[in-house]
Amino acid sequence: MDRTALRVQGIVKDFDGLRAVDGISLEANRGEILGFLGPNGAGKTTSIRIILGIFEPDEGGISIRIGGLTGRLVKERTGYLPEERGLYSDAKVLDALVYFAELKGLRRTDARQRVLRWLDRFDLLPWADKKVEKLSKGMQQKVQFVASVAHEPDLLVLDEPFSGLDPLHQDLLKDVVRELRDAGAAILLSAHQMNQVEELCDRVFLINRGRQVFYGTLDEIKSRDGEHVVRLRFEGSAEPLAALPGVENLAIDGDRASLRLGRGASPDAFVRSLPAALTVREFSVTRPPLHDIFVRAIEKENREAA
Amino acid sequence: MRLRSVIRWEFLRTIQSKQFLIMSLLIPAVVAVAIFAATAADKGAQQSLREPPPPFVVALILATILFMGAFLSGVMALYSVVKEKQGRVVELVLSSISAQEMMAGKVIGLGMAGLIQVAVWAAAAYFIAGRFTPISLAGLGPVHWITYPLYFVLGFMLIASIYAATGAVMKDVQSGGATGLVGLVPYIPIMFSAFIIENPNHLLVRIAGFVPPFAPSVMLLRVGAGAAPAWEIGLSLASLALGVFLTMRFAARVFEIGLLMYGKSPSLRELWRWGRAGRAR
Repeated sequence: MDRTALRVQGIVKDFDGLRAVDGISLEANRGEILGFLGPNGAGKTTSIRIILGIFEPDEGGISIRIGGLTGRLVKERTGYLPEERGLYSDAKVLDALVYFAELKGLRRTDARQRVLRWLDRFDLLPWADKKVEKLSKGMQQKVQFVASVAHEPDLLVLDEPFSGLDPLHQDLLKDVVRELRDAGAAILLSAHQMNQVEELCDRVFLINRGRQVFYGTLDEIKSRDGEHVVRLRFEGSAEPLAALPGVENLAIDGDRASLRLGRGASPDAFVRSLPAALTVREFSVTRPPLHDIFVRAIEKENREAA
Repeated sequence: MRLRSVIRWEFLRTIQSKQFLIMSLLIPAVVAVAIFAATAADKGAQQSLREPPPPFVVALILATILFMGAFLSGVMALYSVVKEKQGRVVELVLSSISAQEMMAGKVIGLGMAGLIQVAVWAAAAYFIAGRFTPISLAGLGPVHWITYPLYFVLGFMLIASIYAATGAVMKDVQSGGATGLVGLVPYIPIMFSAFIIENPNHLLVRIAGFVPPFAPSVMLLRVGAGAAPAWEIGLSLASLALGVFLTMRFAARVFEIGLLMYGKSPSLRELWRWGRAGRAR
């Protein structure tokens, strides 16, 4: 069965002669979390707005297929947590949430029940009849999240869902996001904390200057440069490591050292070639964290553009 | 279905707001008390008017009430649109419904609230005026009863959507400037009401009756003076309805595109381009 819920094909969007989005194509599947990453001003929010039907693209197209629905009706089946949070601040929490669920096509009574269930899940029931503006920032954040999921969307777009939440609530939110994924939702997650992206996402899409930088599974992206990161604690002298094949960026700090193994330098060959004079206490070889891959890819792009 | 939800939401939010209660209840109450207090001191004033006023006076009063009410709900629409933009609610709303639905819901919801306000004022005015003059609605024939409500409702919606469009253009409430003046266009005929009542069939007056922003007040006065033939009323109502539709659509498009604009107000040329373009560009 085709799991594709969203297909974005070559979308382009210009604002005032500036190209904000320049030919982005991607797919989001049911039961999958796709990380949508990029530095500030890369065209993420514009792409998201196009995907959700807030803007029309100048070129290219979006097709969303959810339970046989296509076209405008699909807006009922999508959920959105915008980066710029906003709720009717002078309205009561429950009223505002029921209204947003109604806009997604739910009946009032049904909307109310579902909203109350979600408020309970986030320990917000005692605040249901309070005005939104009376809530703390973290609580407003949770309310905003409820607004994006109360109608149980099939395509959920979360823009920086973790910002402003304490670690406890970040974990709660992660659990909920995983549940929604397991229930079959296609989730597009945009976040700046790469460790959280690594934890949650199956695939990632990196955008910079409106264009795709890379797109694939975490595994593919990490193997792309064929690099490894080595960290060790040692006794003796680590300087000779710099002479070994493939070693780059050797940094020594007391009894700790870190280095990068370049493309083609296999971890196995590296371990076998360790000098006898070096006594290793701790040792790890990992593929580079997404954070480093992100930073280096963007820096490289920006250098080339300059 | 969703449009109904928007209308309901905007309507309930408006009539529950403090400003609304003050405007619709407190003001007539204060005016009534002031007038009664003033006339209780001066017995002569109560005897001053014996003759019932002619229908055009009723029309003029209605036109004035219409515009006061429409002005107030127009300003509420403007604030509501600007607040929505500033409060960033708009992204969430537009990911659920179209800008057209949002605008229509706002204009109708706020318009309904405004009409209630106007009804309260009209009742208060009728009550107060009845103390001084044998005012009577008997002078109003079926033509008035049919056309007045239509002009009222459409005129209200037109003015509310003009203000909503103005709000869509503004980047915040402070930066009104010249854009705020657009909302005053429908009031122009009121300034010439004496001329219209005396020359209800002057060519300029007849033409103005077909121009959407002028139609409500011009036609209220012409119908009041018993001068408008049925076909002219029909045509002017149709053009008014079209005007409401176009203004609302323009407001929705400008609103949609205005989302992208941070920090600058668009030029008139840009506005024209946006309004004409079939979609956000």
